[in-house]
Amino acid sequence: MGVSPFALIKEYLPFFASGTLFTIGFSLAGIVFGTILGLLICFGKMIHNKWLSAPFVCYITFFRGTPLFVQILIIHFGVVPAIFHQSNGIISGIVALSLNEAAYIAEVFRAGIQSIDEGQTEAARSLGMDRLQAMRYVVLPQAVRRVLPPMGNEFISLIKDSSLLAAIAAPELTYWAQAMGAQYAIVWTPYLAISLIYLILTLAMSFLVNRLERRMATK
Amino acid sequence: MMIEVENLKKSFGDNEVLKKINLQVEKQEVVVVIGPSGSGKSTLLRCINLLETITSGHVFIEGTDIADKKANINRIRQDVGMVFQQFNLFPHMTVLENIMIAPLKVKKVSREQAKTKAMDLLGKVGLAEKADAYPDSLSGGQKQRIAIARALAMEPKMMLFDEPTSALDPEMVGEVLDVMKQLAKDGMTMVVVTHEMGFAREVGDRVIFMDGGYIVEENEPNQLFEQPKEERTKAFLSKVL
Repeated sequence: MGVSPFALIKEYLPFFASGTLFTIGFSLAGIVFGTILGLLICFGKMIHNKWLSAPFVCYITFFRGTPLFVQILIIHFGVVPAIFHQSNGIISGIVALSLNEAAYIAEVFRAGIQSIDEGQTEAARSLGMDRLQAMRYVVLPQAVRRVLPPMGNEFISLIKDSSLLAAIAAPELTYWAQAMGAQYAIVWTPYLAISLIYLILTLAMSFLVNRLERRMATK
Repeated sequence: MMIEVENLKKSFGDNEVLKKINLQVEKQEVVVVIGPSGSGKSTLLRCINLLETITSGHVFIEGTDIADKKANINRIRQDVGMVFQQFNLFPHMTVLENIMIAPLKVKKVSREQAKTKAMDLLGKVGLAEKADAYPDSLSGGQKQRIAIARALAMEPKMMLFDEPTSALDPEMVGEVLDVMKQLAKDGMTMVVVTHEMGFAREVGDRVIFMDGGYIVEENEPNQLFEQPKEERTKAFLSKVL
């Protein structure tokens, strides 16, 4: 055991670097697709007709009520092979994180929209705006500001949750830490190293969200 | 006839709030609705621009029945301005944007045109210097005057006021009533739900007293305040005058 941890890390640096990029990539994809899909699901759930909103309610219930890890396994070994006739860790990872994130984002958005006073919609409608215009110009801009902090929390969770993708051999940070640990039969060095990287990523994210919040507050 | 309410009933669940209301408002008329809280006055006002669904009966705005599902309510609401007790200004927009948003997005007028109109209205309510302020920085009286300007920006043919001074500190009531008086003088058709009896007397062409979901009595202000016919009207007036 004469090799210093730093020498090992140096050897694995290219893998950690690409793993970090993959972690960031998975997270960004989850945030972007999850937000778009989440907004649609949120509107779906808010449809007044019970039958039309039911599928969206089921979606949210399923993705929030079952473990992300199980969802990843189902998507990787079931859904993706069924569609593409082969499994692919990167595609599965993006799909799983996006679908899961969408369910949480939908609920965050719904809470945000419903927290806006009914009088705002009434004022907009009384001026002749239709439902969509009232939502777009009056309710949503206010809701977005209000959901920014909980959205930030969701994004931070997402960065951390992306580590589960190691189980389907998606080449992100945790995957490379496991590989390093297995190759040299060590524990502390790889996992502490990636912990530090995760910490930098989540702190950077919360810094970004904070700045965005402050910019929107002063606007 | 600007507004015609015919056998209007409104229930919230089992609770019948409006029981067979009939009401006509003519062009340029100022109708003031008074009555104890819970008498249904605000609900009546809100039914007139369909902020509340109508349980049964009809409400005609310039002859169009808004209880009819085929009526284009978004079009009709452009002619019916509404001012709320809680102002309901849009807090994420400046005063100017608050006033411009509906003409811009609903009427699709040009930006310059909307701005000229907004500045003109701000001048009329005496708040031209607040154009770039946000609602949060304004007093209640200022907010309500902006809310009136915002409604007027759509050039409505009639205005509904839902207790416009009830949420205001006493010293700010006057400035809002002054704007409303000027509006009445300019010939605006108005229905005003209010507890301001002085305003009712001075500006109202007709006063309606509501209680328990009914229109109990209506008359010109002097008649109604000096010689109320119904016992319930007398009892109410003796408490508030």
